[in-house]
Amino acid sequence: MFSKIIRRSHMYLALFLMPWVLMYALSTMAMNHREFFRKVYGGKPAQFEKEREQTYTGLLAANATPSQAAVQILRDLNQDGTFSVQGRPDGERLTIFRQDPVIPRRITYTPKDGRLVIERQIFQAPAFLERMHRRRGFQHDYLLEDTWASTVDLVIIAMVFWGLSGLWMWWELRATRGWGLVCLLTGATLFGVFLFVI
Amino acid sequence: MTFNLLVRRTHIYLALFLLPWFLMYGVSSLVFSHSSYFNERYKKDNLPQWTVRFDRPYHIDIPADDDLRPAGAKILEEAGLKGAFGVYRPNAEKLNVYWFNFWDATQLTYFVKENRLLAEDRRFRWDHILTGMHARGGFVQGSFLDDAWGVLVDIVCLAMLVWIATGIYMWWQLRQTRLWGSLALAGGCALFVAFLGML
Repeated sequence: MFSKIIRRSHMYLALFLMPWVLMYALSTMAMNHREFFRKVYGGKPAQFEKEREQTYTGLLAANATPSQAAVQILRDLNQDGTFSVQGRPDGERLTIFRQDPVIPRRITYTPKDGRLVIERQIFQAPAFLERMHRRRGFQHDYLLEDTWASTVDLVIIAMVFWGLSGLWMWWELRATRGWGLVCLLTGATLFGVFLFVI
Repeated sequence: MTFNLLVRRTHIYLALFLLPWFLMYGVSSLVFSHSSYFNERYKKDNLPQWTVRFDRPYHIDIPADDDLRPAGAKILEEAGLKGAFGVYRPNAEKLNVYWFNFWDATQLTYFVKENRLLAEDRRFRWDHILTGMHARGGFVQGSFLDDAWGVLVDIVCLAMLVWIATGIYMWWQLRQTRLWGSLALAGGCALFVAFLGML
């Protein structure tokens, strides 16, 4: 019974988390060959193109922090979500980077004339994969972001579980013990050597 | 050997060979995901993150083009360091060369206007070893061993694709698990797509 629970957990967890594993595999490859993909895309990071420009009619509080101003502007634009911000709402400009996984946007607000310029980053598959790979942690004030971070933690737990449950299942298959041990020891030795030579 | 057996053996032997990498990526991801926890934990020791190794007058001409690696390599050599490094220019006044292996790291900062080179050794931390291993990859270092590690990173990625394909094949052969398996697979895919649309 215990063996069956291990086998089923290993399999169902893998089926559920398949999209995350696929994303991490492809994104790691994209990052491992970053120079190659940079050349493919002309040697420049993904550029922004103007989506629209408009007058901002909302009123920002006089003592609003950059983050508070960014939240208000994003809500008014129906773009609420994880962001980073540069500049000050009472300065020359406030630049908000809305970290949408598929279409990141740069929103520039110039308080002097009340203009908003909304730009979208041109889609590049390696950049998209890298954004997804790096998306993690509980540092943002968004429940949805924390939920994503929880799925990342689940993948982490699952990876350790797949490793340990895999060892268990392998040991149960007597016919594979010999070659399995060779693979395990070779891999562990190679990894151990790399720890000290590079 | 039947195709069925080949699939099963590939799944298991590949996993056993790459187990150290797979566990390393899993455990080190935890450090990335909860970096503030680990930073706070180490802060309690009240030890400096960086210790000055030397701070001396120095001059190097920095090329105007984007390729900073030759200048970085020269600074490294003249500082008596050998091995993998990264180089970047955070602003016009500074050039940073970051030397590292899995255990140690040293940052060399060249101050352009002051003609000064500062070398600082990073404090030893276990979480840094894990994140260093996790982030290591690519083919820009130009040494055989670094390239070999890069190839192994590719092999781990390809293995993950093979585990997905062989895993789905093996699942489909277990008729009694098809219903719950389909629900798990569809549920995971739907959740992932929903995240893409809502994050």
